Amino acid sequence: MAEQSGTAPHDRAAELHRALAEDPRTSELGVTVTMRGEQVHLSGTVVSAERKAEIDMVVHEAEPGLRVTNDVQIVSAAEPTGAEDIR
Amino acid sequence: MTTIAAVGDVHLDEDAAGRLRPALGHIGDKADVLLLAGDLTRHGTVGEARVVAKEFSGLDVPVVAVLGNHDYHCDEVAEVTSVLADAGIHVLEGDGMVLDLGECTLGVAGVKGFGGGFEGKCGTAFGEPEMKSFIGHTVAAADQLKSALAALDCDVRVALTHYAPVPETVAGEPPEIFPFLGAYQLGNAIDCCDTALAVHGHAHFGSERGQTPGGVPVRNVAQPVINGAYARYRLPT
Repeated sequence: MAEQSGTAPHDRAAELHRALAEDPRTSELGVTVTMRGEQVHLSGTVVSAERKAEIDMVVHEAEPGLRVTNDVQIVSAAEPTGAEDIR
Repeated sequence: MTTIAAVGDVHLDEDAAGRLRPALGHIGDKADVLLLAGDLTRHGTVGEARVVAKEFSGLDVPVVAVLGNHDYHCDEVAEVTSVLADAGIHVLEGDGMVLDLGECTLGVAGVKGFGGGFEGKCGTAFGEPEMKSFIGHTVAAADQLKSALAALDCDVRVALTHYAPVPETVAGEPPEIFPFLGAYQLGNAIDCCDTALAVHGHAHFGSERGQTPGGVPVRNVAQPVINGAYARYRLPT
């Protein structure tokens, strides 16, 4: 758990980023963590709603007092409609 | 004309099984081959590899893959590779293969690659053993890619990596982490042969299009970048 008082916002963001990467429940390296006071903003993409919820869980456990805005998106698994011509 | 389908960073595990399958059912109507640019699993376990195997087996196109850093996490690389191979997925690591597509022969050389950074802002094999080991791994991977590309006897040559060979396709990521996303040595290896296309993943916040210093088109097919089941690229034959 990150120390909440007297810790610089970028350090707290770094600790949360590490937690999301190293916690086996998430193992997400592709989530951007931005701290603003006692708020944290999460962005990036994951492959399912379940994984988005797991990110919430890990962040809340690491910093229970934070207000979390989870803007992580679910990446599309749709067939492509076009193709690029490589020249 | 040869059409390449490619995707990386699908990060499958048991909970995501079947997610891509609906889009893969008719891939033979849309492409001649499917390339998988690493990070096929979430943690690199055998169980996750079985999910990947089921997802990409039995397709009506050949499937060629490299592994990514996530696929190495649980130190089960040999077992993961074996599970994929048993499902008919060709896993490359410092080697290549030639596919007879009828209209032409397509050669694919693949390696996971590694970080190190790009021209002017890169690590060097100097100082601590850990640093020498880091860059040594990068150089070895690039050398393997170069040799594998040169050994291909084919009409069309494609390079497949997980890590990026050029900085253009990691643009969008924080510049501070570029050295963990790719290495210029991979780009130089690609330029040593008559390569038609280079495909990679790894940089989720990166950009799709770039090119090597020698002018070879590079495409970042990380799924968060292409935002679909796969991307398609048509190559002249």
